[in-house]
Amino acid sequence: MAPFIQAQNLTLAFRSKTRESVTAVQDFTLEVGRGEFVSIVGPSGCGKSTFLNILLGLIKPDSGEIHLNGTRITGPGQERAMVFQEFGLLPWRTVTANVELGLELKGIPPAQRTERATELIKLVGLKGFASHYPHELSGGMKQRVGLARALATEPEVLLMDEPFAALDAQTRDLMQMELLQIWEHTKKTVLFVTHSIEEAAYLSDRVIVMTARPGRTKDVLQIKLPRPRDYEMRLTPEFNEIKLRIWEVLREELTSRG
Amino acid sequence: MKLKNFYTEQEPFILGTGFIVALLVLWESVPLWYTLPRGMTLFFTTPSKIAAAFYELLFNGEIEKHFYVSAVAFLAGLGLSIIVGLPVGLIIGRSPTLEAWLDPYVTAFNATPRIVLLPLLILWFGIGIWSKIMIVFAGAVFPLLINTYAGVKNVNRVLVDVVRSFGANEWQLMKIVVLPNSVPYIIAGLRLAIGRAILGVVVGEFFGSSQGLGYMIASAATNYKVDVVFVGVAIFMALSVILTLAVKQLESRLASWRPETAKTF
Amino acid sequence: MTAKGYFTEHRRLWLGLCSVFFVVSVWELVLTYIFPVNPFFFTKPSLIAAAFKEQIQGAKLWHDLAVSSRAFLWGFSFAVIVGIPVGLVMGWRRRVEYSLDPFLTALYASPLVALAPLFIIVFGVGVLGKAALVFLLSVFPFVFNAFAGVKSTDSLLINVIRSFGGSEKDLYLKVILPSTMPYIIAGARLAIGRGLVGIIVGEFYAASEGIGFAITQAGDTYRLPDMFVGIIILSLIAVVLTELMRKLEMTVAPWRASEEVR
Repeated sequence: MAPFIQAQNLTLAFRSKTRESVTAVQDFTLEVGRGEFVSIVGPSGCGKSTFLNILLGLIKPDSGEIHLNGTRITGPGQERAMVFQEFGLLPWRTVTANVELGLELKGIPPAQRTERATELIKLVGLKGFASHYPHELSGGMKQRVGLARALATEPEVLLMDEPFAALDAQTRDLMQMELLQIWEHTKKTVLFVTHSIEEAAYLSDRVIVMTARPGRTKDVLQIKLPRPRDYEMRLTPEFNEIKLRIWEVLREELTSRG
Repeated sequence: MKLKNFYTEQEPFILGTGFIVALLVLWESVPLWYTLPRGMTLFFTTPSKIAAAFYELLFNGEIEKHFYVSAVAFLAGLGLSIIVGLPVGLIIGRSPTLEAWLDPYVTAFNATPRIVLLPLLILWFGIGIWSKIMIVFAGAVFPLLINTYAGVKNVNRVLVDVVRSFGANEWQLMKIVVLPNSVPYIIAGLRLAIGRAILGVVVGEFFGSSQGLGYMIASAATNYKVDVVFVGVAIFMALSVILTLAVKQLESRLASWRPETAKTF
Repeated sequence: MTAKGYFTEHRRLWLGLCSVFFVVSVWELVLTYIFPVNPFFFTKPSLIAAAFKEQIQGAKLWHDLAVSSRAFLWGFSFAVIVGIPVGLVMGWRRRVEYSLDPFLTALYASPLVALAPLFIIVFGVGVLGKAALVFLLSVFPFVFNAFAGVKSTDSLLINVIRSFGGSEKDLYLKVILPSTMPYIIAGARLAIGRGLVGIIVGEFYAASEGIGFAITQAGDTYRLPDMFVGIIILSLIAVVLTELMRKLEMTVAPWRASEEVR
């Protein structure tokens, strides 16, 4: 089966103000199947967020190619949507107006937009907060809005850049479970970047470990845990095995940079 | 007990107004306990005399006449500065090249008191209302331009990425993110611009004018009508305070979503 | 560093210089070859440069600058001496703040220049009148910025010093003063601008010497190049002083410099 997302030999270097060039990713290759939940972990600065941005179409790689369902990615597109770590909600818009953003840009008429937005607001559990403003919401609620907004345009691929990193531990656990529920319900392909091995193991079908900068794929681990996954699974010996394996692969990269 | 609670609650207001009232009373009473040297009596006036002069001028239509002229210069100059300052600020904000090109002029003009251009403007535009409008414009356009520019530049990078990721073009970006984000800055710029505009009207009308509140002040001073001078000053003071408060209200309403409002200094 | 590297790094500076050079050249060329200059309305860079040279070599310019500077410095110094302590006390003592704030805010927001004719008539056209005007205009930024500086002092830091047994003097020296310094310098920057307005308006209105007077006089006698020289010199002084203050602000202050200018 041809992979749904295929990245081949992606290379990207940043030119910083001090005129030193920094290679974020080098010959990065990756494949993702349709409907898969794939996590990417790696040391800080390894280029995982950069990769997501390339996939999103906001940055162009210096060399290499990336394809989605056979078509080359050259810019942003409706089939891909991102959930940002800092939420990125427009502070002067209500929750509904924020969720509608993508639909608005697509030219969908207002009545339809609001209908769809209301549906999604219910899906992410924010019913009753539709007319609230971002500064009135907690971190977890803001991220739910972010998720609703990303889902509104019905993308095929959901890109998530450390979406729960800014939340407290309890909210984070809760959001992870809700994310899984929504994923089972909507069957999207998800690429999830995180620093947390536990999070990666809990959520994904496969975990990709990146090397330190310049980033490339170091190893890919299959998570052979049954779905649906409940919280108790995180306390089982099998889960800890998996975590340990990921950690051992990752640790080399963490210490190699000193 | 209740009186004490009332006082603590209202203390800022009581002390503030109290101070002003005390000053006014002190001022009014000066002739009673201090004999001015002979030369000074010509220059001295009291709040009651100022109030009397105010009513007199109000009723014989003088104030109205001068106020109208000043108002026209103020509004025309301010309007012009909004029409020019806002778009230029927006464009400069989005284009670093243009910003670099225009930077020397903006910095130079902004640091220089625009008043210094008054003789030149009078030379070019005569002593009619146009030189006043131009000096108001010159003063007010820079806070607006600079603040609009700051608002555009300081737009949150994440928000721009978000909107771009949904496929927005430059125009949509402006409309959906940049402009709304800049509104608080623009309003703050408006507040500063109003102060500068009033300054422009005042100084512009001091020189080579025959109408306007500034002229009224200047001619009253020459004729040693100190009470009329203070009437004029008081009117400008009241206008400044009212307009500044009005804009501050606008600021708080339109910028309520901001966690931290644009700086006031 | 290669030439190209240097260029990219100081891109802003270069583009700015090019821009000025370009405008000045176009100005000169257009008025020399395309439109003849009506000397009553306009002038061109070469004439301005000639007037510049003449003035610098002469004595009048320096005398005028000296006169204006004297008045400015007197007024400004008093503004510093009076304004900062008042602001500090306002920040430190609530009751003082409550009493003075409405009154001073109203004054700060008003165009006090409107009192210029009165000041000149009362104090005469000499140093006293101009200095008084400069003082009146420039004292307020100091008051309010010192006030804001004190109020913004992190009370946590005060507690830290107290917990180590620090005295009132320690508090002032180690926490309040360093905390307030950036605000005061910002206040100085604003005060310079407002003070310059004072000196210029004072000299426009009724004076017989000083740089402001020189500008009006040149205007009255239609000597445009001389007028432009005066304006440019004043502008240069203003820019240099303001930029100096900004640099000072940035060295002393960790927070980003204010984008707004009063």
